[in-house]
Amino acid sequence: MASVEIHNVEKHYGGFHALKDISLTIDEGEFIVMVGPSGCGKSTLLKTIAGLETVTSGRLRIKGRDVTRLEPGDRGIAMVFQSYALYPHMTVEENMGFGLRMAKRPRAEIDTAVARAAQILRLEEQLRKYPKQLSGGQRQRVAIGRAITRSPDVFLFDEPLSNLDAALRTQMRVELSTLHDRLGSTMIYVTHDQVEAMTMASRIVVLNGGRIEQVGAPLELYANPINLFVAGFLGAPRMNFVAGRVTSTNGGSASVTCGGDLKVDFDDLAETPAVGAAVTIGIRPEKLRIGDPDAGTSFPARVRLTEYLGRETIVYADAGDLATSGSDSGTGVFTIQIGDIQPFAPDAPVSVGFDANAAYLFAPDGRTLSAAKPVTQI
Amino acid sequence: MYPRPIPETARPARAAYVALVAAVLVLWLLPLVTVMLTSLRSFEEVMAGNYWGWPKSFNFIENYTAVFKQTALARYFVNSLIVTLPSVIGVLVLSTLTGYVLSRHRFPGNRLLFALFVGGNFLPAQIMMIPVRDLMVGLGLYDTYLALIIFHTAFQTGFATLFMRNFIAALPDELFQAARAEGASPWQTLWHVVVPLIRPALAALAILTFTFVWNDYFWAIVLTQSDAVKPVTAGLNNLRGEWVSAWNLVAAATIMVAIPPVAMFFLMQRHFIAGLTMGAVKG
Repeated sequence: MASVEIHNVEKHYGGFHALKDISLTIDEGEFIVMVGPSGCGKSTLLKTIAGLETVTSGRLRIKGRDVTRLEPGDRGIAMVFQSYALYPHMTVEENMGFGLRMAKRPRAEIDTAVARAAQILRLEEQLRKYPKQLSGGQRQRVAIGRAITRSPDVFLFDEPLSNLDAALRTQMRVELSTLHDRLGSTMIYVTHDQVEAMTMASRIVVLNGGRIEQVGAPLELYANPINLFVAGFLGAPRMNFVAGRVTSTNGGSASVTCGGDLKVDFDDLAETPAVGAAVTIGIRPEKLRIGDPDAGTSFPARVRLTEYLGRETIVYADAGDLATSGSDSGTGVFTIQIGDIQPFAPDAPVSVGFDANAAYLFAPDGRTLSAAKPVTQI
Repeated sequence: MYPRPIPETARPARAAYVALVAAVLVLWLLPLVTVMLTSLRSFEEVMAGNYWGWPKSFNFIENYTAVFKQTALARYFVNSLIVTLPSVIGVLVLSTLTGYVLSRHRFPGNRLLFALFVGGNFLPAQIMMIPVRDLMVGLGLYDTYLALIIFHTAFQTGFATLFMRNFIAALPDELFQAARAEGASPWQTLWHVVVPLIRPALAALAILTFTFVWNDYFWAIVLTQSDAVKPVTAGLNNLRGEWVSAWNLVAAATIMVAIPPVAMFFLMQRHFIAGLTMGAVKG
C-alpha cells in the first residue's frame, strides 16, 4: 500500500507560488530524499505533508487516509527539525515522551516507548540530562528518539544534519540509514546536501522553483538526468556544460560544434534536434581524461589550478574560446576529476579528451536529448 | 561613541569625573537619606527645625512602633496587599494569554489588536479619571478593593501584553512546530512549553507590576474613600494632621511602605535581570 500520496498539491503564499502541481506517490518503507536549491519548495513540501502548512489546493493521503485538513498531531507523522527543537526545560526522557504525554497515554506505555527509543539510539545514559548538557550529535539523536517514541507511519526530516560538523554528519548519515533498515518505516528527508541524497535515498526527488523536476533512484538520476537542471544539480564537482550549435543531423545522430572548433558527434539520440539549434553539451568531470590518445574527442587546454584531494585530483583547465557555463569555479574553465594523483605544472598545455557516448546533449529548453545510459556504466 | 573611557594619564579629568559622580550621587540620594534620618528624629527635634542636621537622638524603635500603634498603617498595608497581589496575578495570567495568542497565532486584526494594547499605554491616566470613577460608581464597586483590582489589572495588561508578546515571539519557531507536530493542543503548548520557558519574563513582569500597583497613588485616591479600603500610598497622606504633622512618623511610615517593592526586587533580582536581557531560548 502506498504510504504517502500527494495529489496535485499547490501552495501560494500571498503572491508567491511556492508549490506547483506536486504529485508523488511514496511506497511503504521508502527513504525519500527531497533535494533542490534554496527556495525550491522542498521544506515547504515537507511542512505541507506534516500539516504545519496548509495546501492551497490538492489532496494528501497517508496510509490511504485523507489527511489534507487534519492537524499535524492526527496525521501519524513525526518530524525532526534542523535545530533539533528540543524543549530546553525538559530532560531527554521528558523530551522523548512529550508526544505520548500530551496524548495522555498510560505511564507504562510511555516508559516502554522511551526506553526502546533510547536503546535504539544509545541514549540510555543521557535520559536524565538536559539538552544543553548534550553534544550536537546527541541532541539530534534525542530529536530522532522523540520521533521514534510516537511510532509514526511516516518520519519527516527537515535538514536534520546540517547543524553538525562534517565528521559527525557522516556518522549520523550512517546511523540514519541503519535506523531506516531497522525500523522499516517510511521516511521523507529534506536536504540540500547531495551526498546525503545519493547515499541515503531509495528515491530522490529533485525540486526546482516549486516543481518536481525528476524522481528516481540515486544512480538512475545521476546516469540519466531528465534535463540540464538535474544534470547540473546532482554530482560534485558539477557537470561541465558547453554551449554548441547543431551543424548537421542524420536520423538519430547529430553533430554539434562548440567554440574553439570542437566537434562532437552524438548517436542514438532519444530525440533529434533541428539543425542550427542552440544546444548544450554536458560532460561529467570524471569522464574527462587528460592526455589519453584513445579518447574519441579531444581539445587542447592549459592547466589553471590543481587540487590534490589524496584519493583524486581535480584539475581546472582553460580551453580558451571553448568555455564552460555555470561551473563550480564560476569561470569558463573545465573541471576534470582524475582518479589518482597526477602532478601538473601551472599553465602546462594538456590535451583533454572524452568519449562522445559519455557526454550528454541538452535541447535549448534544457531537456535531455542524448540516449539513456545504462546505470551500471557509471 | 559615548561613553569614552578617561585615560589613566589624564589625572585632572579623572578627579573631576569622580567628584562629579559623587556629587550627583549625593544629590540623588539626599531626599532618601533625609527621609531616613527624619524617621529617626523625635517629634520635638523636627518641630525645632532640625531637618538636615544629624539627629540629636535616635528613636528607631519608638517611631517605627508608633507608626503601627498610633495610625491605621497596618490596615493600609493589608489593603495594599489585597489590591496588589490579585492585580499582579491577573496581569500575569492575562498577558501570558494575550502575548501567546498575539505572537503565535495569525488571524485578521492581530496587528490592530496588538496596537490597541500598546496604544492604550499612551493614554494619560488623568483623562480616564472621571470615566473610570463613574464606571465604578455605576457598577457599584466604588470604594471597594475590586475597583482598584479591576482597574489595575486592565491598565497594566496593556504594557504587560507588549512585554509578553515580544518575549514569546523571540522563542524559536521550531519549538512550536515540534509541539504541534507531536499533537500538543494550543493549551498544552502554552502550559508545557511556553510557561516554563518564559519564567524569567514572568518574574520580571511580576516585579514591575507589583511596583506599579503598590506605588500607585492617583487611582488609590480616585477610587477609594474609606480607611477600610485605602492602600498605603493614599493612607500615608492621611497621616498628615490638619494643623500639625508628625513628620518623623510620616517618614517612618514612608520607609515602611517603600520596603515591599525593594524587597521584591532584591528577592527576584536574578530573574529580573535575566528577564530583561534574555532574548531567545537557545537549546
